[in-house]
This record gives sequence, C-alpha cells and structure tokens, in this order.
Amino acid sequence: MTVQPVGGGVSNRPSGTSLADVIDTILDKGIVIDAYASVSLIGIELLSVDARIVVASVDTYLRFAEATDRLDLAKSRKPGLPEVVETVTQTRGAETTAEAERLEAGGARGSLEAAGERLRGFAGDFGEREDERESERVEVREHVRPRKAGQEEG
Amino acid sequence: MGRSAETTENAPPTEQTVGCYIYGVVPAEVDVDAETQGVGDPPAQVRPVRHGKIAALVSDIDVARPLGTPQDLLAHQQLLDAAAAEVPVLPIRFGAVLATPDAVVEEFLSPYHDDFLAALVELEGSAQYVIKGRYVEEVVLAEILEENPEAASLREEIRDMPEDAARNHRIRLGEIINESITAQREADTATLLENVEPVIVMSADRPPSHELDAVHLALLVEISRERDLEQAVEEFARHRTDRIKLRLLGPMAPYDFIVSQEQGAG
Repeated sequence: MTVQPVGGGVSNRPSGTSLADVIDTILDKGIVIDAYASVSLIGIELLSVDARIVVASVDTYLRFAEATDRLDLAKSRKPGLPEVVETVTQTRGAETTAEAERLEAGGARGSLEAAGERLRGFAGDFGEREDERESERVEVREHVRPRKAGQEEG
Repeated sequence: MGRSAETTENAPPTEQTVGCYIYGVVPAEVDVDAETQGVGDPPAQVRPVRHGKIAALVSDIDVARPLGTPQDLLAHQQLLDAAAAEVPVLPIRFGAVLATPDAVVEEFLSPYHDDFLAALVELEGSAQYVIKGRYVEEVVLAEILEENPEAASLREEIRDMPEDAARNHRIRLGEIINESITAQREADTATLLENVEPVIVMSADRPPSHELDAVHLALLVEISRERDLEQAVEEFARHRTDRIKLRLLGPMAPYDFIVSQEQGAG
C-alpha cells in the first residue's frame, strides 16, 4: 500500500513495507501521548522493538573484513573492476535468509545468528522481503508503559 | 473484541479490561470505513472520536494483552499511512492507550484543539516520503580495495596469516572500510538532498539503520509533486545503479516532522 518503488534506475527489487521500515518509523517518532494526556493513560505491557546500529564497532569492522575475504578479487584483478562487480553481484542473491523468529505475545527473545548478521528476537509472519536480509539489528524488549508523563521509558 | 465499547467509568483503572488505543489526529470531517481494522488480535475496528474540527482515530484494545507484535506495528503504520495518502494526519507514537474515548476528548483533543488544527492545516496536501539506500557491499568493498593501498595490502596479509594472528589486521581493514563508507554516505546524502531540494517542503536526516546505508532521509512533500520527487530520486539513482539499491517509501504519515511539546530534546 505504502511503498512506491521508483521505476527505471532505482530498484527492481520487490517492494513492500517491512518490519524494519516500520520500526524505524513509528516506534520513536510521532506525538508522545504522555506529553499531552497523562491522567487516563493506561499502562499497557509493550513489546517494543528497537532497531539500532552499532556504527564503528569492532564487530562491524570484523564483518567488513570478512566480506572482503569473500570477494573474489584475485581471479579478476587483471580484468579490472567492472568484471569483478559483475560476478559479485550475481552471487549476491544466493545467501540464505535468516529464519525469522516468531514473536509471540509472551515475548520470544534471544539471539539468532544468521548470514553474518545479528538479528535479535524478532519477527514472524509478515512479508520478510528480499532486501531485509541485511536487516537492521532488531531487539525486542518488554516494558510497561508509564502511567504518568515524565517517566520516560527506557 | 469487536464492539465491546464498555467503558469503566465507575471501576478503578486497575480493573479496566478495555482501553482506547489512539493512532493519530485528523480533521473532523474524515470518515472511517466500517471495515477499517487496527491494532489487536483479532484486529479491532477503527473509528473517529470527534471534537470540534479535529478527530482522533481510535480503536478498542484489550489492555491485558501485551502490545507490539509485528502485526500490531504494521497495523498502526498502515492505518496512518493510508490516511496520510488522503488527508493530513498527525501520527501518534505507537502504543498510546487512554482509558476511554471521553478521556481522549477531555485530555487530548479539547485542550490542544487549536494546536492540532493548526498543524493539520499546515500539513494539508503534504505527506512524508522516506528514501532508503543501501550500498551493494561487494561493489563498494571492491572500490575501496582498489582505491586504498593500505586496505588492499591488509587484505593480502590477512590471507597469509593464521586466523588468530590476523585479528588486528582485520579490525584495521574493517575500520578503513567503515570510514570510507561513512564518507561516501555523507557525500551521497548531500547529493541526493541537492537533487530533491526543489521539490520538497522540508527534509529530516535519519541516522543510518545499517552500516551499509547509503542514504536515509525523510522528506515532507506535496503529494501533488510525487512524480517530481520520483524523477529527482531517479535522476540520482540512474548514475548509481550498480552501487546503491534505492527505495522510495510513501506517501506516509509525517512521523519525522511532528514534534510533541515535551519532545524537543528527544
């Protein structure tokens, strides 16, 4: 409904709103109700999901280094870059995707390691898309919504 | 759950079983189809709670059930985005539940009626779009190895070293790559912004959501100019088809352009 891939040069990947897209949109943005209406605010248990990236961590560095190791530059060094590019982009699609863990109301949490990425407790039955393989790190935690304004949740 | 609209005005709040989930604020004249579904399992029916010239989109919710399954998250966003394609909408952060529809009016709509109305007027005709770009890893890595002699030689050295001994080399190599990608991200984001500047109302930079993010931008755009936006994005993408996978999302509710009164610091 909401995704409109631009034609032509942009992307021929399948389109769709994924959990990752939703997470970095609705969880920490929009009007905070606590700031307006607090008297009748109901404390409800919230399985909230955080997507954050640890930029410039050692893990990131090691992952990049590993990725360079997978690059098959040696063979195609002589021909030059364009051919390298072609071969690597072709093998790209072969990676297996993570089996998304089903998140039940009780809160299935924990880690799963897949395809060189950490996807923490996450996500079930809604269209995992091709491009979500390289998904953001997602973390599920539970907390109870504060009843009063001013008590910021974690 | 359906139409269990029982309010619990006489009961203490702790015994309340049904709450009023709030999605967003829209102009009062907005109608909601009877089959419009929202958050909950099974999904509850969404309806407007009107006050003056504005209305809140709400649905009943079982307060005993933990909220936040993927379906809940998608339902919240899909409802708001569907609304945003047609009318101005002020999105409320996921997970807001008040005791009763009356409380929505008395504590939320009535005291802030004029503020919300002014924001809705300002948003009239506009919606948010998000551009997400991801570098094609192999292409970008190959470029970096090509252009950075230190990276290239580190890679060679690592190949001839035992796994344990190479750790520091790998960290250094990864660091070089990360720095290079960060620099490219800044440059590409600046270029893209230049491209779309003429067709947007305003922009909001989003932090990268992945280490290979090339661009991540939220844009407020007049819906009538959607085609212009697409062309501007396409123009940017055309020269980078091999390196960046780009997606344009929207129209959606203006999540990145709504600032609550006490939210400034966040």
